[in-house]
Amino acid sequence: MSGGAQYVVAAYAVIWFLVLAYVVMLGARTARVGRQVEAMMRMLDRRDAERSDSETAEDRT
Amino acid sequence: MRRRQLMALVRKDLRLELRTRETIVAMVLFAIVMLVILQFGFGTRDDDLTRFVGGLMWVTLAFTAVLGVGRSYVAEREQHVLDGLLASPVPRTVMLGAKAIAIFLYMTAVEVVVIPLVGVFFVKGSYWDAIGWIAIAALLANACIALSGTLFSGLALFTRARDLILPVLFLPALVPVVVAGAGATHAVVGGSPDMSEWRGYCLFLLAYAILFALVSIATYDAVFDD
Amino acid sequence: MTDGPARVPGQRAAAIWGVLATVLVVVSSIGVFLVAPEDADQGIIQRIFYFHVAIAIASLVAFAVACVAGILQLRTRDERWDDVGEASIRIGLLFSVLVVITGSIWAKASWGTWWVWTDPRLVTYLIVVLIYAAYFVLRSSVEDDRRMRYSAIYAIAGFASVPLSFYSVRVAESFVHPVVFTSSGANMPGSMLWWFVVSQAAMICLFVALLELDLLGRRSERALRRLAMRLESA
Repeated sequence: MSGGAQYVVAAYAVIWFLVLAYVVMLGARTARVGRQVEAMMRMLDRRDAERSDSETAEDRT
Repeated sequence: MRRRQLMALVRKDLRLELRTRETIVAMVLFAIVMLVILQFGFGTRDDDLTRFVGGLMWVTLAFTAVLGVGRSYVAEREQHVLDGLLASPVPRTVMLGAKAIAIFLYMTAVEVVVIPLVGVFFVKGSYWDAIGWIAIAALLANACIALSGTLFSGLALFTRARDLILPVLFLPALVPVVVAGAGATHAVVGGSPDMSEWRGYCLFLLAYAILFALVSIATYDAVFDD
Repeated sequence: MTDGPARVPGQRAAAIWGVLATVLVVVSSIGVFLVAPEDADQGIIQRIFYFHVAIAIASLVAFAVACVAGILQLRTRDERWDDVGEASIRIGLLFSVLVVITGSIWAKASWGTWWVWTDPRLVTYLIVVLIYAAYFVLRSSVEDDRRMRYSAIYAIAGFASVPLSFYSVRVAESFVHPVVFTSSGANMPGSMLWWFVVSQAAMICLFVALLELDLLGRRSERALRRLAMRLESA
């Protein structure tokens, strides 16, 4: 009795697809946040570098 | 002390209601309109709807409950009674109890009209000898509605679109009450009453009321915590 | 602000659970389709059972976690428990929707109609979906501290209505119609039971992995907001 195989495949496909979509959604959010955090860290680094540059410049004068 | 506070709060609600009569009259009227709409919604002009009588009765009562429960804090909110009440040393569980008792009484008042009316409108067979059993199930269901309704209306009180939120929160939780109420009604209406079935549904309603009483008592402090 | 924003805690846990869940889902899928024996009565259709029931139980675990998180949130007023609660309910809701969809497919396959009101599992999960969908409606209409408290209370009250819905549908059912599948777990042949256990483990791990991943994202977002505030104030 192999009738109904398409239903089994459909049921599992729905499960896999929706779970995968959920994972992709979560992953996309995490990746976006990670990128923004890194960009901000770079900005902070640059600002710190500028500040220390100006401080050393002040020391010299 | 607590009992005096409880009675004072219940009296306040009832006195307000008796003076204005806005909630109960509106609820009864709403319930009658619901029954008429349901009758026409079925599309049949059949005089005997005994098969659907539990559904007709409990759908009507569930929607009426949402209406009444939604009104239950309105007076407090509009007239700033709630601020005073929350600032006073009345325990939150007493407030919960008072509100639940008020809702219970409102629902009972509605059922005094609805349950006989359902018999008049929809049942041509035996109904009146079962009305006592229906009333007992209805009182148990009222306890369920009062306890869960107080909790959910407290939650909906300070939300945006409060009138929309309450049915969305409250009606799914009422599904078991409707199932059991309609089941108990069908068990006793229409000739051969099945008392063991009726008892099963009543016990279920009792369990629902106890469970929601526990949940409400445990969480009600947090509802008004600001 | 002691923890540095460069590395968010929980990354390792999320990775481990993610790998575990993926491996188990793949293994159980292979087992269900290729290894598990054909059911004598229902034939191939019975294979829906493994994930269908496993996901149903996993969704209940998710709602239980949300209920416990709600209790802890009310006790501690810590916003992290709010995160756990919302993430759990979101996953539980996804799982319940999957239960309804796969149950509907099963109904079509074995009874020829997409919806059967006499199948208690299908009906109760529809109610469960409605109960927990309302959670997000509630969340979207309150803010801040109140949102956390109300969500916690609703997570607890919702979890109380789940067994009530289950029981009410089954009580009504038992008077009308014999229940079809409730005892199928008990009288399965051994190898079927074994693959069911593997599927169940896969679904529980999937829940934990999704939860960890979600929480990781929330922690990152929070770290990001803190960082933005520090950058502005500097």
